[in-house]
Amino acid sequence: MHLTGMLNNVMKSISGKEVIITKSPYLHKWGKNFKNIQDRFYPPNTLIRRQKQIEDFMYLNGFTHIFHAEEVRIGFEIKNNNWANSEHDADIILKTDQRLDRATCNDIIAQLDRWLDICPSLYVCLNRHYMNINNAPINLELSDDYQLAIAEWVKQSLPTDFVVDLSWDYIDTGDQFTWSIPDRHFYIKRQ
Amino acid sequence: MAIYNGITYIEHKDDTQMIDTPKHNYIRFRLGRLKHAVWLRNRKSSDKIYIDCYDKFILDNIQPGKTCMFGSAGYYLGDLVADLYIVEQWEIVKQIYPDALIVDERTEIADEYGATFSNFVVNNNKGDRFMHGGPTDYCIEYTKSMTDGCLFFYSFRDTQQIFNRLKVDQVAYFYNWASSLRDICGLYLLWHQFEFVQSEDGMYNELENPDTTNGNLKFVFQYNDDSYKINDQALVQCQ
Repeated sequence: MHLTGMLNNVMKSISGKEVIITKSPYLHKWGKNFKNIQDRFYPPNTLIRRQKQIEDFMYLNGFTHIFHAEEVRIGFEIKNNNWANSEHDADIILKTDQRLDRATCNDIIAQLDRWLDICPSLYVCLNRHYMNINNAPINLELSDDYQLAIAEWVKQSLPTDFVVDLSWDYIDTGDQFTWSIPDRHFYIKRQ
Repeated sequence: MAIYNGITYIEHKDDTQMIDTPKHNYIRFRLGRLKHAVWLRNRKSSDKIYIDCYDKFILDNIQPGKTCMFGSAGYYLGDLVADLYIVEQWEIVKQIYPDALIVDERTEIADEYGATFSNFVVNNNKGDRFMHGGPTDYCIEYTKSMTDGCLFFYSFRDTQQIFNRLKVDQVAYFYNWASSLRDICGLYLLWHQFEFVQSEDGMYNELENPDTTNGNLKFVFQYNDDSYKINDQALVQCQ
């Protein structure tokens, strides 16, 4: 082994520095400004299409008091909207917060259910790459098409609610800004 | 891509031209190479080097001979591995580590060095992500620069691979993929460690998986051989 070796149980580097071994640091910080950083890779007046999709959906459907559950800052500009300070004041809850996507499937559905009890309209953006983060078996009949399977999972898990899949279908190769704005979009309405 | 009212709407990173400056390229490189942060930290210390348990695991097991680190910001181990070769795909790395070999394609590694490496490390390389059926084609390219008996330390995150996460048992999926490489390109699976979020203890999960830095799926292969005995004490002690 090409290490300088151990000296009195202290590992030394080739140049003689003391080597300190730690648990794996959490270097991957999901900064709230991740999207801002990514936006700056492009010239001004460039916008992610799905951001415009959400802005248009809210405006064209007349939502004016949106509560935004947010992790990565997106910077929506939605006409006629006054952001609600809580779920209770909102006419729709917009969820782009990816911390929820990193929860288990059961926890995701439980939170959607709770929100729908508070506010009957919900626009949910889910990051497909985080679904089932704990590798748990899903006891539902789901499609082999992953995109369709996500829609089926949401619909079957909220069987009495009206669920519309508003997502674009494509093979996500990590180049589609999914970590800025999650890719699977659902409008859910509690009847 | 669509242009409307002077706004360019994009869906894919290549839909319009990115700004191409050293500053932007450095930020893009950093976003995808987490271990660069280790190098930044260590260069400020005159008497200490900080590494994590997985680094120690690699150091405990590397064999005599040449070691290649590809796409892993591996220069942070430059003071710990004597015969270390750094290969990256970002030109900006030349400014950080002038001895690095910059390649466009993985085939260039063997073109430059031949089959000479006794150890080969790919640590959570974003360039290896999102391959249908796993990154098999990349592994085939890596083996072309390995000597017989070479150890191949390979790790990545499950969240950066393409499969149906709601239907596929990841443990079986990735174990079967790794095992299949023996017949495909002579890589014998010696050791693996898969870690996932364990509990349902909260609504929000700040962390993605137990080791986002190195990747929660870790493999050690040996090329055209399976005789090496892995020492995983460093990882056992960390748990």
